[in-house]
Amino acid sequence: MKRQRGDSGAGWRCIETAAGLLTPVEREIVLGDLAETDRSALRGVMDVLGLAARRQIALWKSWRPWAVSLGLALPASLFLMGCSVASSGAVGRLLEEPGQSHLLWLSVSRIFLLICWAWMAGFGVGAVSPRTWWASLLGCCAPCLDCLSKWPGHGISELQLLIFLVPGLWGLWRGRQHLRLSPGWAFFLVTIAMLAPITSGRGGLMYSCSLLWPGWYLVATAIRKPA
Amino acid sequence: MIGEFEFLILSAAAHLGEDAYGAAMREVIETSGGRKCSLGALYTTLDRLEAKGLIVTRMSTPTQERGGRAKRMVRVTGKGARAAREFYEAVVRISRETAWGRAPGDPV
Repeated sequence: MKRQRGDSGAGWRCIETAAGLLTPVEREIVLGDLAETDRSALRGVMDVLGLAARRQIALWKSWRPWAVSLGLALPASLFLMGCSVASSGAVGRLLEEPGQSHLLWLSVSRIFLLICWAWMAGFGVGAVSPRTWWASLLGCCAPCLDCLSKWPGHGISELQLLIFLVPGLWGLWRGRQHLRLSPGWAFFLVTIAMLAPITSGRGGLMYSCSLLWPGWYLVATAIRKPA
Repeated sequence: MIGEFEFLILSAAAHLGEDAYGAAMREVIETSGGRKCSLGALYTTLDRLEAKGLIVTRMSTPTQERGGRAKRMVRVTGKGARAAREFYEAVVRISRETAWGRAPGDPV
């Protein structure tokens, strides 16, 4: 059994690639165990994938991935698509009439609110259920792809529709890094995010405010564990 | 009461003593226990046993044999030893005076 597997070769690279699905600590343990054995690379890959699958299944026994992917990412993407279109529309009008100060204010405020809202939603996704981010991303992208396939070239470009993805992914990335917000920042984000549906006039106030739960979750955790 | 696979893992860890870790326990379970043991089953069961307080695990120092990677060392706790003993005694009790005849088709 104690034959050291060479850390090279296509088979071992496949095992290492599959082990990318595991957490860093578990990856080290599992790759070490497999390095000691003389099992085939296929068996090694199956072992790693089996463990990764069991880990994912275990995660889905909690409320967190369900709440985040179905309760936030999916409905929030519908709302944020509307905000993206509203923001890009305001910017478009500003470019047509550059001298209008109210258009400048409208564009800047809408984009700022969009960034805050999308960042907060992404942060919530990353912080509440970091290891199921792929499902949240799927939940977020499904309505976008549906929109694009149903109304191709409907006067709205993909770029206009998907602006929110940039701050959203940024927030997701920061949330997964366990960045801890101070209570003040958390309150600020939630307050600003509450203004988004009012100024954008998209999605309905109740609908979009009901999607603010990750913001309140962040406030609660920030108060409990100060930065 | 613990399950059959949990008992096998506790027994393998107790058998290996200070040298109990994933790959070695897997080898013992497959050779002595006579059953296949996937890494997924092994590590998820180790987590469960640790959550129940039946084992404790720690990371070892990295070894050259494993390409400079650490091992997850396993130690059975007193509670774990009691749980394994209870399982074993229950199996012995329930099997007492039970004659396991050959099933049809078994080799003579």
